[in-house]
Amino acid sequence: MIGFDRRALSNFGWTLICMTLVLLSLALTNLYSASYQLGLLSFKKHLLWVSIGLVAMISVSFVSYKFIQQYSFHFYVVFVLLLVLVLFVGKEVASSKSWISLGSFGTVQPSEFVKIPIIFVMARLYSDDHWMESYGFVELLKPALVVLVPFILVLLQPDLGTALIILLICGSIILFMGVKKRALLFILVAVVGLSYPTWQFFLKSYQKERIEAFIDPFNDPLGSGYNAIQSQIAIGSGKLTGKGFKSGAQTQLRFLPARHTDFAFSVLAEEWGFLGAISLLLLYFLIILWILDTASRAKDRYSIVVSFGVAAMLFWHVIINVGMVLGILPIIGVPLLIFSYGGSSTLTAMIAMGVVLGIRRRRFHIPDEVVEIR
Amino acid sequence: MQDFRSRFIKSTVVLGVAFLAIIFRLWYLQIVEGDELAEFSLSNHIRSERIPAYRGRILDRHGREFVVNRPSFDVYLLPRGADDYTKLNKALFEILQVSPERFKNNLVPTEPILIARDIDRDQLAYIETRRDSLPGVIVEINNLRRYIYGSLGASFLGYLGKISKAELEVAPLLGNDSLVGKRGVEKGWQDFLQGEDGYRQKATDAFGREVSLNLFQKNLTSKVGVPGHDVVLSIDIDIQRAVEEALGDKSGAVVVVDVKSGELLALASKPSFSPLDFVKGVNVELWKVLINDKSFPLLNRSTQGLYAPGSVLKMVTAVAALSEGTVEQDTLVYCPGRYKFGRRTFHCWKREGHGEINLKLAIIGSCNVYFYKLAEKLDIDRLSRYMKAFGFGSPTGIGIEESRGIVPSRRWKQTEYKKSWYRGETLISAIGQGYVSVTPLQVAMMTVALANGGTLYKPIIVRKVVSHDGKNVAESIPEVRGVLPPMHREALVAVRNAMIGAVNDPKGTGRAAKLSNYTVAGKTGTAQVVSLDKEEEGYKEYKGHAWFTSYAPAENPEVSVTVLIEHGGKGGSVAAPIARKVIEAYRSLEDKRDKDDRV
Repeated sequence: MIGFDRRALSNFGWTLICMTLVLLSLALTNLYSASYQLGLLSFKKHLLWVSIGLVAMISVSFVSYKFIQQYSFHFYVVFVLLLVLVLFVGKEVASSKSWISLGSFGTVQPSEFVKIPIIFVMARLYSDDHWMESYGFVELLKPALVVLVPFILVLLQPDLGTALIILLICGSIILFMGVKKRALLFILVAVVGLSYPTWQFFLKSYQKERIEAFIDPFNDPLGSGYNAIQSQIAIGSGKLTGKGFKSGAQTQLRFLPARHTDFAFSVLAEEWGFLGAISLLLLYFLIILWILDTASRAKDRYSIVVSFGVAAMLFWHVIINVGMVLGILPIIGVPLLIFSYGGSSTLTAMIAMGVVLGIRRRRFHIPDEVVEIR
Repeated sequence: MQDFRSRFIKSTVVLGVAFLAIIFRLWYLQIVEGDELAEFSLSNHIRSERIPAYRGRILDRHGREFVVNRPSFDVYLLPRGADDYTKLNKALFEILQVSPERFKNNLVPTEPILIARDIDRDQLAYIETRRDSLPGVIVEINNLRRYIYGSLGASFLGYLGKISKAELEVAPLLGNDSLVGKRGVEKGWQDFLQGEDGYRQKATDAFGREVSLNLFQKNLTSKVGVPGHDVVLSIDIDIQRAVEEALGDKSGAVVVVDVKSGELLALASKPSFSPLDFVKGVNVELWKVLINDKSFPLLNRSTQGLYAPGSVLKMVTAVAALSEGTVEQDTLVYCPGRYKFGRRTFHCWKREGHGEINLKLAIIGSCNVYFYKLAEKLDIDRLSRYMKAFGFGSPTGIGIEESRGIVPSRRWKQTEYKKSWYRGETLISAIGQGYVSVTPLQVAMMTVALANGGTLYKPIIVRKVVSHDGKNVAESIPEVRGVLPPMHREALVAVRNAMIGAVNDPKGTGRAAKLSNYTVAGKTGTAQVVSLDKEEEGYKEYKGHAWFTSYAPAENPEVSVTVLIEHGGKGGSVAAPIARKVIEAYRSLEDKRDKDDRV
C-alpha cells in the first residue's frame, strides 16, 4: 500500500514543505510569547504535536490516493462513529462536549479530524458520477446527507464553529463542482428560511450572546463583547511595526483572552504590527494558492475535489478566524489552522496538506506501477 | 473530463478578494485607528491610583491634637478584572461581611469600586495571602479620622461621610469615594481641611494587579498631593471635658464663652453621638436609628436647639424698659403673686407674691408680675427691637449648623399666622414665654454683651487655620455684630448689679452658682412647656427647661457660662449648680496655667 518511485523526490512539493516550516516557526514563536508567562508546558506540548504533524504530513504524502479513494467511506464511518461516541463519553471543555481523553497524553477532538474523511467522501461521490456536468436538487441529496450527519453531530456537542466550517467546506466543493440554478435558488431559500428557527430553537444562549455582541460589542463591554474589544485594541495598538516580541501589553498583561488559541493572530498583530500580520496572511495566501494550483493540475476528478476541499478548509479557517479577531465576523471559536495552539487542528491541517503533497507528486498521472503490499 | 479552468480562475479571484478584505480591515485597525487604539491599550493597563490628601488636623486653642488621621486599608474591586466576581469572590464578600448585590448595578468596567473600608488585620491577611486567586481585588491605603478624646466635642466637631453627587459637582477634583465633612467644624471648614489629592500611575494586568515588568513602567507619572490645613479651635479641651463631665447624662447644652473676644471655650450638647460610628462613612442602619431616636442625638442643642428663654430674657426686657424710660431703677411695683390683665389672670412663679419690690429685686427674685407691668408699658414692637439688638432671631454666624430662633412682633405674627397681636401676648413675651424661641448660644452671646458693656460679638469657634508647614492661612478676629448705644450703658450696669445679686443675695434664685472668692453674676430661667397647672401633674415631659446664664468674675468679666437642661425643672436648682462646676473648673485651670506660665 505504500508506494515509492524515484520521481517522487523531484516532484515532491518542496515549496509547500518550506512554506509550512516557515508557518510552523512563526506559530511556535508566537505561542512562546503568548504563553511563556504561565510556564512552557503549552509550548512543549505544541512542539510535540508539530513534530508528529510533520512526520504525519510526509508519511501521508506517500500513501497512494487510490487507496484513500477506495476506503473513503470506511474512514468516514469510523469518524462519524467517533462523533457519536464523543457525545456520550466526551470530555466537556467550556460547555462543549468535543474531546476524547487519551489519558496522560492529552485529548483529541474528532470533530477536527472528521473534516478530512468528509472531503474524501465528497470527492468519492463526485468521481463516481464523473459524467455529471452540474448537479440538480435530486443529485445533491447524497452529498447533502454526507454533510448533514457530521454537521448535526458536531452541532450537538455543541461546537458551532466547527459545524459551520464543515458546512462551508462542503458548500464550496458543491458550488465548485457546479449546481443547477434552480437547485441553488432552492438552497438559498431553505437557508434563509431555516435561520429563524435555528436562532430561536437550536442556538445556545452563549452563542446568541456572541452574535449579539458581534453586532454591538460595546453594548456589553464586560461580558460577551469584551473579547472582541480587547482583540481589536490589541491588533490596532500594534500599528505598523508592532510592540515587539514579548512586549505586547494586551497580550502580556492578559487583557486578550485565549491568547494562544483563537486569538493567536491578535498576539502576532500586536507584537509584530501590520508588517508581521500581513506576512502571515501572505503565507496563508500562498499556501492556499499552491494547493489550488495542485488541484488545477490534477488529472482526475477525485484529486481535484480533495485538493480543492483542503484549500477550502484552510481558506475558511483563515477567513473566519482572522475575520472574527478583527471584528468583522462574530466570535464563534474557530482556530487559525497550524498557527493556533491545538494538537487536533494542527494535525488535521498537516495530514490534509500531506494528502495534497501526495496528489502533487503524482500529478503526471502515472500508471500504477507501485508495489502493493496487502 | 470537464474543463475546470474558469472555475479555478473564479476560485482564485474569490480567494484574493477575501484576503484583500481582511487586509483592508487590518490596515484600518492598525494604520488608521492605530494611534487611538494604542491609547485604549494604555488606558487599559495604566491605572491612576488616587493618593488621598492627608486631611488637616483639628487642634484645640493650645495646639493640642483633637482630631487626627490614621491609615485605613480599603478594598476595591475592579469589575473588568473579576470575570465572575459573584462566584469567584463569594468567600471574599463573606470575609468582608458585605453583600455582593450592593455592587451589581453600578459597574463601570474600568472604575474600581470601593467594597470595604478599614478592614482589620485578619481580613487584610486573608486578601494578601490570596492575591493570585482574587483577580480584580485591590487594596489601597487611605486615611480615616481618629478622635483622640472619643466622643468629646462630637456635637460641634461633626463627622465625615461619603461625598454626595451634589458635593462632587462643586468639588470635581475629589474622588467619588472621598470622605468629606458632613456636619460641624468638619463641614464648616471642609475647604481648608480637605487638601489636594495626589495620584500615582501604575501598570496593572487585566485583573487589576500591579505588574513590575520594567517594560510597562515607562512614562508613568505621579503627583504629590497637598495636605489639608490644620484648624485651630478656640475650644479648650480641658474646659470642654469639665463641661461634659458637669453635664453628665442630663440632656441639654452648655456654652462657655470668652467675654472679651467672643471665642467659645467649650460647647456641649447631650445626648450626642459617637464619632467612631461615622469613621467609615455613614452606615444606613445606624443612620436610621439615630434619626428616629427620640432623644435627637444628632441635634446640636447648643446651636440648633430652640427653647423658650424664660426668665433669662428678663435682662433684655429690663434693659429695654430702662433705656426707653418706661421704668426707673427704683420704681416700685407690688407683686401679689398674680396679675390681672383684662379678663385673664397671669401668675407669678411665686404664688404668695414678692411684695413691694424694685427692678433689682425683681431680677434677683425673678418676679414675673414686675415684668408684666413693664411689658404693658413697653409694648411688643419696642421689646422685639431690643431682643434683636441682643442677637436673638438671627443666626450668630458661628460657622456650623445653627437655628435662628423667633423674635415675635406684630408684623411677624401677621405674616406668620395672619392674625393680629393680642396685648396679653406681650406680657408672656417679656418673661421669655409664648412665641419667643432662642438657642443656648444666642443666650450666651447676650450674656457676653451684658458682661462686656454692650458689645455683641460673633461667636468664634475656629481661631485660625494653619497650613501643614506652619503658615497662617486664616485667622479669626473678634467680630462685632452690634454695640448698644451709650445711653443704654447705665441700664447695663443696673442689670449687671441685679445679676450679681441673683447669685449672691440670700433671696437670689441663682444662689446655687455662688462661689467664694470669685464673684459670679447670673440669672436663672425656667421655660414652661405647658401651663403651670399641668406641670404640677409631674410628668417629666411637662417639666420646664432649666436655664442658667452667667459670667465671672463680676468685677472684670472673663468668662460666660450658659446652661440649659431639657425638662430639668427649676433653673436655680438644676442648671445653676452645673454652671458653678464649670466656672470652678475654669478658675482652677486658669490658676494652674498662670502658675505654669510663671515657672
